[in-house]
Amino acid sequence: MGHLLGRMTRNSKKVMAGTALFAMVGLLVLPIFMALPALAGGGGGGAAGQPPADVLAERAAAGVGEEAEEEQVETGRDVYYKIEGPAVGMPAPITEDNETYYPRYNFESRVLLWVANQQHLYYGSFVLAVPIFCMCIEFAGMVSKDKEMAKKYDKLAYDFIKISLTAYSLTAILGGILIFTFLTLYPAFFGYLSSIFRPVMHIYALLFVAESATLYIYYYGWNQMKEGVMKWVHLSMCVILNVIGTVLMFLANSWIAFMMSPAGVDEQGRYLGNIWHVLHTALWNPLNVHRILGNMAFGGGVVAAYAAYRFLSAKTDEDRAHYDWMGYIAMSLGVAFLIPLPFAGYWLMREVYAYRQQMGITLMGGLLAWLFIIQATMIGILFLTTNYYLWQALGRMTGGERFQRYIKYLVFILVVGLLVFITPHTIVMTPAELKAMGGQQHPVLGNYGVMSAKNGGINAIIMTTILSFIWYQRGNKIPTVSWSKFGNIFMGCFFIVAQLNNIWLACYGYFIPANVRIGLSVPQVAGTLSCLFLMTPLNLAMLSGAKELGPIKWGTIQPRSQYALIMLATAFTWMMGLMGYIRSSVRLFWHVNEVMRDNSPWAYTHTIGFAANVISFNVLFFWITIMFVFWLGALGMKATPVPVKEAVPGTPAPQPAAGS
Amino acid sequence: MLELIGAGFSLGWPLLAFLVCLILYFQGSIKDPVEKKAATFKGIVGIFCALAACMAIANYTANFNADPGVLPVSLVLITATTFVLSLYFTNIGALMKIGGFMFFVAAALSGYGNWLPQVEGGFPPPVVKLDFQSMSAQQLGDEGEKIIFGGLGQSKTQGAIGKGQCPLCHGFQKGFLSERAPNLFDIPARSKTRLEEPNYHMNDPASRPSVQKEAFEGSGTAVDAQEYIAESHACPNCYVVPGFGVKGSNDTESPMPRIHKAPISLSMGELAAVDTWMYVREGMEAPPYDVIVTSYEKFIPEGDRITVTEEDDGGAAAGGVLATGEEPVNEIFMKAACVACHTIPGIEGATGKVGPALIEGTNAPNRLKDAGYKGKAKSVKEYITESILDPSAYVVTDYPDGQMPKDFGKKLSAGAVNKIVNYLSQVKDGQDPPPIE
Repeated sequence: MGHLLGRMTRNSKKVMAGTALFAMVGLLVLPIFMALPALAGGGGGGAAGQPPADVLAERAAAGVGEEAEEEQVETGRDVYYKIEGPAVGMPAPITEDNETYYPRYNFESRVLLWVANQQHLYYGSFVLAVPIFCMCIEFAGMVSKDKEMAKKYDKLAYDFIKISLTAYSLTAILGGILIFTFLTLYPAFFGYLSSIFRPVMHIYALLFVAESATLYIYYYGWNQMKEGVMKWVHLSMCVILNVIGTVLMFLANSWIAFMMSPAGVDEQGRYLGNIWHVLHTALWNPLNVHRILGNMAFGGGVVAAYAAYRFLSAKTDEDRAHYDWMGYIAMSLGVAFLIPLPFAGYWLMREVYAYRQQMGITLMGGLLAWLFIIQATMIGILFLTTNYYLWQALGRMTGGERFQRYIKYLVFILVVGLLVFITPHTIVMTPAELKAMGGQQHPVLGNYGVMSAKNGGINAIIMTTILSFIWYQRGNKIPTVSWSKFGNIFMGCFFIVAQLNNIWLACYGYFIPANVRIGLSVPQVAGTLSCLFLMTPLNLAMLSGAKELGPIKWGTIQPRSQYALIMLATAFTWMMGLMGYIRSSVRLFWHVNEVMRDNSPWAYTHTIGFAANVISFNVLFFWITIMFVFWLGALGMKATPVPVKEAVPGTPAPQPAAGS
Repeated sequence: MLELIGAGFSLGWPLLAFLVCLILYFQGSIKDPVEKKAATFKGIVGIFCALAACMAIANYTANFNADPGVLPVSLVLITATTFVLSLYFTNIGALMKIGGFMFFVAAALSGYGNWLPQVEGGFPPPVVKLDFQSMSAQQLGDEGEKIIFGGLGQSKTQGAIGKGQCPLCHGFQKGFLSERAPNLFDIPARSKTRLEEPNYHMNDPASRPSVQKEAFEGSGTAVDAQEYIAESHACPNCYVVPGFGVKGSNDTESPMPRIHKAPISLSMGELAAVDTWMYVREGMEAPPYDVIVTSYEKFIPEGDRITVTEEDDGGAAAGGVLATGEEPVNEIFMKAACVACHTIPGIEGATGKVGPALIEGTNAPNRLKDAGYKGKAKSVKEYITESILDPSAYVVTDYPDGQMPKDFGKKLSAGAVNKIVNYLSQVKDGQDPPPIE
């Protein structure tokens, strides 16, 4: 076998490894797909609309005829899919405010559950995101022609997964705490949800086992599978790890999606025998996409913060150079997923409106509207911080100073864009405030806060960030391609036209009705995405064979830039907590929207201030514990140093990922 | 501030005492004067930081529920602590600076959240048992206004929202903003013309382009204005006014929920009240209660109807009493719905403005002396009892007669009335409200 592999060319090895990868993923996913038709019938039951097989068999044995069956089988109408099905489940319990339904300590049960849930989610997001990074980085190392770079990438991926491994145990512990909190404080509610999701709960548990096994093989097999085809097999393990992780996340998401937009049950909450309908609710897919992107951006933030911590506490120039580079890579990955996040958010919100307009209005123009003002502010802060980091990073490149004088114009655009983006339109007020203001819109500000203008604000910010990134890529390079002059002019014109189009549409929105205005977001977003997907590759093409003005001096970046990374990580953690709170509290006084009512003493929505305090607590608790994890990771590294020749500051390697 | 420092001391005195002992120990154990000075200085810094941390915890403990707005102060204190520690304890400097910065960011964001207007989503409104059937058109209309806008006289306030949640999307006054759903100004008259619109297909539901042809199989279409209103409430998908459909549905699907279903869940009586208000507010004669209910029965299957009897848990409508007198007085006020119309000091949620504020310990003596008073009461308690059982005996200036129900004598037990009287007679202007018993 070894002889055979030895004779294979590099390409044929890749083909073989690719085939093996697909085969492994296929084998992994196959049982899930095989299970779905059976699940659709209700966990071993018949097809949709039919009672489960065991029920039919019992009836047949009892000699019950079809006519009698029609009379006996009670049917219900799916609250979402609007089709009839056998009501095989029990109705949702009608709870009362007492110790039976809501056992309690001398504290608000909802806050306890909130904290347990949020901590589990933070860690879950982190351990799901990090293997995706590892996959990308390990792949980058494998395809890199520079052997030094390949080693560095490989070490980086290994460092990442080591941190993730410690966090993985903590995730499992927090998952257990979450379940115990549910069982002890909300037994009726948890019992009902468990009865609905029973057909997939064991699949969830088994996937968790598979995830653990794959992670351990991936981690402990690192050194055993570091050469040739085995390295590709090793990478395939990471792909499998990510496939399992993603399916796990989708299953977890289905619970929250069901609570927001139930399906597969009738008005009384009775399960209608089709688990696919329960999973595939109106908001499941938008939530899935939003969470994948969110997890990635969050994971990038956490790793960047780790790198910043190591940079600031580094004792040698080599360490500083390594962690500077690591922070840059993590930040780039995080921001790459942060950019499409607002668009995924718009999709989610659009689906919320389509599902229940009232829910959308409660979110964006009603009780929770102020929280979106905070969210808008935070998105602005995240982009401002990213830009600040990139401008600081220009300082470690010879030639980067060429762009410094233009930064003030970018600051102007960013600040104006942010101010427009956070201007409210319809405001929730008390009657006295309404009277004082003379309506729901402020006489001055109310004219400015319409959706097209807000979209204009955020698109201007994103376009500016893309421009900062392009400048960063060019920091120490001058294009030498024959068409560089034309390319520069084309690129400049493209950005100007896209920005003008964005601003023009933002203004045009004032002259057309709201239902037409909302459609302007499409051309605005199209302009921004064009800048991202056309200008960035164009820039890379122009930089091919570019003249270097000097090396990137890794490790010489100002320490204040590392606080930008920490700011990014903290703000992102906070925003994640905020959005989770918004998503959860939009159900108002329902455990399961319109199906199971919350009759606990906490069936009201807290004030913004209270929510902000709990979110801050969650954020700080997470960071204190993850610091502990970092510390453990650092101990491990001290114990088993990986002998890798580090790049010395002032040498050309390593290059920015985007440019390599 | 002094209070907070005191709380910090009382919480952290063992730690502070330990640090003081440590400084004393340094005095004896360290011989080098430079080192001794440095150790003493670090000890003092440690005491300062420990005190700040204890103050932060004390503030958090004391104000978590009482005044969450000041909780960011704790975060600021911890930020200061960590920065100071990072300056003088350089071996953990980086960690402390990062931690301090994170606390600073969290404090800023928490502070921002607390600085914004504080809106709290209250509990869902309690179900008030009303006998809609026996109300006059005006009373029914008033109830309708409360359901739509949350209170009497609120219909002209933009943004006022009641249980029905209609103003979230609909405008009700000429010229009011109504971009999400049709403005309902003049709707009783306009309903007739809707029946003639090309896509309505009166008596021919199968030809409708909408995703739902009929409210339920065999229900048919509306044939008059009232039925149109009922159909549009019970089956918004049956006909969508052009331009107001779900985006992308080409006006074949409505974004409006069925208002007799969750989450709005209006009962048949409440639906009649809402419709009656729409007629009455335009000076039109509303169809009788039974006619309106019949129009809804055409479009709501029997199993889906929420009736007054179903809502009632054996209360007044079924011949029982609203309150037996065994409940605490705040519950009695709630059950009798006094809170909907009156402001009652000391009773949570009693902020009604329809009737006078019930500060009877102060007001009743004055009213008894009023020349216009023709009642039979001689004392404060008698006056309050009289105004509950016979509200027209004396009507407070600037408030109309006939607003307050006259049947509380039948709906409240003697014990319940006594509790109300005892409580209200002790409510005095400028004094703390009496305890709830």
